[in-house]
Amino acid sequence: MRKKGLSLITALSILSALVWLVGLAWVLQDQFFADGKSRQAETMQPDTPQKQKDNSSSAKKLQIAAIGDSLTRGTGDPDGKGYIGYLKEELAKKTKKEIELTNSAIKGQTSSQLIKQIQQPQIQRQIKNADVILLTIGGNDLFRGGQALEELDSQNINKTEDAYLSNLKAIYKEVRSLNKSGIVYHVGLYNPFSDMKDSKTTSGIVRKWNYDSANAAAAQPNIIYVPTFDLFELNVNDYLYSDHFHPNKQGYQLIGERTASLIRFSEEDQK
Amino acid sequence: MNKLVHNELLKLFRKRRLFVIILIIAALVPLFTYAQYQEVKTTREKLGNVDWRTQLQQEIVDTQNRLSSSRMQDDWRKYLKIRLAQQQYYLDHNINPQAPGAPTFMRVFVENSIDLLLPLLVMVVAADLVSSEASGGTIKLLLTRPVKRWRILLSKYLALILSVSFIVTASAVLSYGISGVVFGYGGWGMPLLTGFSTSGEELVTNNVHLIPQWQYILMEFGLVWFVCLVVGTLTFMLSVLLRSTAAVMGIMLAALIAGAILSNMVSSWESAKYLFMVNLSLTDYISGMATPIEGMSLGFSLIVLLVWAIAGLVVSFTVFTKKDVY
Amino acid sequence: MSQSPALSVKNLRKTIGKKDIIKGISFDLYPGEVFGFLGPNGAGKTTTIRMIVGLIKPSSGTVLIGGKNIQTHFGDAMKDLGCIVENPELYPYLTGWENLEHFARMDSSIPLKRLYEVVDLVDMGNRIHDRVGTYSLGMRQRLGIAQALLGNPKLLILDEPTNGLDPAGIREMREFIRFLAEKEKLCVMVSSHLLSEIQLMCDRVAIISKGSIIRVDSVHALLAEQERVVWKAEPQEKAESLLREVTNVTRSEEFLITLYDESQIGNWNRMLVTAGVEVKEMRTKLPALEDLFLELTGGEHIE
Repeated sequence: MRKKGLSLITALSILSALVWLVGLAWVLQDQFFADGKSRQAETMQPDTPQKQKDNSSSAKKLQIAAIGDSLTRGTGDPDGKGYIGYLKEELAKKTKKEIELTNSAIKGQTSSQLIKQIQQPQIQRQIKNADVILLTIGGNDLFRGGQALEELDSQNINKTEDAYLSNLKAIYKEVRSLNKSGIVYHVGLYNPFSDMKDSKTTSGIVRKWNYDSANAAAAQPNIIYVPTFDLFELNVNDYLYSDHFHPNKQGYQLIGERTASLIRFSEEDQK
Repeated sequence: MNKLVHNELLKLFRKRRLFVIILIIAALVPLFTYAQYQEVKTTREKLGNVDWRTQLQQEIVDTQNRLSSSRMQDDWRKYLKIRLAQQQYYLDHNINPQAPGAPTFMRVFVENSIDLLLPLLVMVVAADLVSSEASGGTIKLLLTRPVKRWRILLSKYLALILSVSFIVTASAVLSYGISGVVFGYGGWGMPLLTGFSTSGEELVTNNVHLIPQWQYILMEFGLVWFVCLVVGTLTFMLSVLLRSTAAVMGIMLAALIAGAILSNMVSSWESAKYLFMVNLSLTDYISGMATPIEGMSLGFSLIVLLVWAIAGLVVSFTVFTKKDVY
Repeated sequence: MSQSPALSVKNLRKTIGKKDIIKGISFDLYPGEVFGFLGPNGAGKTTTIRMIVGLIKPSSGTVLIGGKNIQTHFGDAMKDLGCIVENPELYPYLTGWENLEHFARMDSSIPLKRLYEVVDLVDMGNRIHDRVGTYSLGMRQRLGIAQALLGNPKLLILDEPTNGLDPAGIREMREFIRFLAEKEKLCVMVSSHLLSEIQLMCDRVAIISKGSIIRVDSVHALLAEQERVVWKAEPQEKAESLLREVTNVTRSEEFLITLYDESQIGNWNRMLVTAGVEVKEMRTKLPALEDLFLELTGGEHIE
């Protein structure tokens, strides 16, 4: 019995040594010596994303696609939920539908970067399947790119805004062309510097951006521009994270509740 | 020679070394399977979505978010960028690198155990192959037989090669068999990309091509086998040089763990790439992960390991045939 | 002793660093004899034996086993050699039988039949299939001899074979070694630091001290040479002064000790009687090798 065990293991070992040697040889052949004919990855694509099942948008689910910058990401919220997290919680109270959320926001993203991001097929797929699209954008154009509020150079700011607006229109157009029926909620800008000196000037700039953005939103069907300026106007420091720029938990809760209140459900879907 | 190898295998078998190793693998694989299963489950819960594309997209976005953080080491940033480019490539070509299934688990398992777990197991076998004869005194009986010393050492080395092959096979079979209970046994034919190479921060994809998963796995196990042989050979050398099995294990353990640590630290110390222990993660070249040091490639690592192994063998045989036995 | 030597050691040297461990040793061993290798611990016995069996490379000199040089014809030389160096260390996790099989596989000229023979020879048929880890020292010693005899050697080298055995075991071992030499015509080389041991079982002995052999001779000759006469006489003073005129005398309590000289002993006795000394006792005494050793090495002590 013992002898058989040993010879079995020996035979097995010899066999495996050969198999792994073949594996190793294959590595060498594949990585170093293979010629062009095996290099046809692109042509032997299995199936394209477009043909993939799009059955995920069933009636039982509410699909939310979130894109944009750090606000959508939730930077500053210790729980990492951000306003979309609270929004989801709010919605869950209202509906029996299953909520499916994809968050593709990237910290520090500007409007021009977002245009590139929504060219990606997977992002497009998400937008296409979504019932609700959440968007925050522009904060990084205004506060970082232009350094507008430090220099208060009106000419510079105007230039930045023009670029932003044309980007925004392009984003709206792209989203609309991907998804005709889904409602887009564009969450607006607030002024994190409203309790500092020059607050009049800074608030004025932010108001102008919001106004122009809202105008652009109105030009397209089913794009709702959600104001947040008023939420942060008083007691701004109670709602800001320690970086004095992003909202804190309470700030996000305010935005989330406001946006959630705008999303309605049909009778049968209500709780 | 056959009989001599038979002797060595008999001793290994009777010392229950192989048995213990199989037990270790059999105990660890369910653990990893459970961990993997949990991970799949939590991602699903978090996203409320089962589509892998969404998951992969989320991973990409997460990576992008990490990249935008300003406090990040350069090499880590580089690693993430390459990872990102690769994930994007998979996504663009509609290939799910993490499609659940026992073969995928095998692949992930072998990629994660190539630089530490499997070399450690091999070390358990190789460490006392010669030193136990010296410390047990049986070497005196072994060397006063009408057999030349180099033949005795060669028989031990052949036994080592066979045991290494056995261990690699055992880990393949066990990881497939056990994880299949949870993930299912299919997925051998799934196409996977290989042939990535990096140049600076760029991911070079002009050599990238698709191969079925079974070939991918066979190739990775071939590399694991090679790494295990090299580690085994070096342990074997120490076993010839030292009487104490504990000392052999200690040194080898320190070297392997140092390798794991160094891989994360040595990006600016370039000559560290000639150390064997930072070259163990050969499967990373197949899957296209970033190299710990600029200028390392599959060919480079293979040659470095080969040189170490040959040097180890030369030292082993010279010392063993010449040394005085007290 | 006209046969060719079973073992021939010529001018064997070992230098480690600048220190001479073995300073040129030569001796020949012949079939059928038990050869003692005697010396205190640290004299170089084990180093010499390890050089003979090929475990240590000599710095110079040759070792021929059955006429074959172990340096140049290792395999052939080793076929004629069986040995136990120090303790019989076998694989404790294998059975006795598996140990024998293991070593038999290393020499293709050993048939399976031989395994049964050696097991019978050392008389351990009933325990041979137990794991060696469970054996007593005596059992392991016997298994060690069994493995040494596997290859039908012409030369058997046993390093301290009675170390750690009880008195019955020692006697058994002694008889077994004599049996091998006399019946199987083996040449057996036994090292020991115990003189009584060597005295009882060896035909010839080499005495080694500080890396050199100081004497090689038959045990019999060595002893005979050192034979003494013990006298007890009254009055002692008169007897002593009379004997001192003709030979060396040492006094030990009430005895006087002189050399044994067969041609003179009768004259000395007559001389004493004539002088009116009463000889009460007169006998020959074989000295222990202790005395011999002290004499040869000039005072170096052994146990």
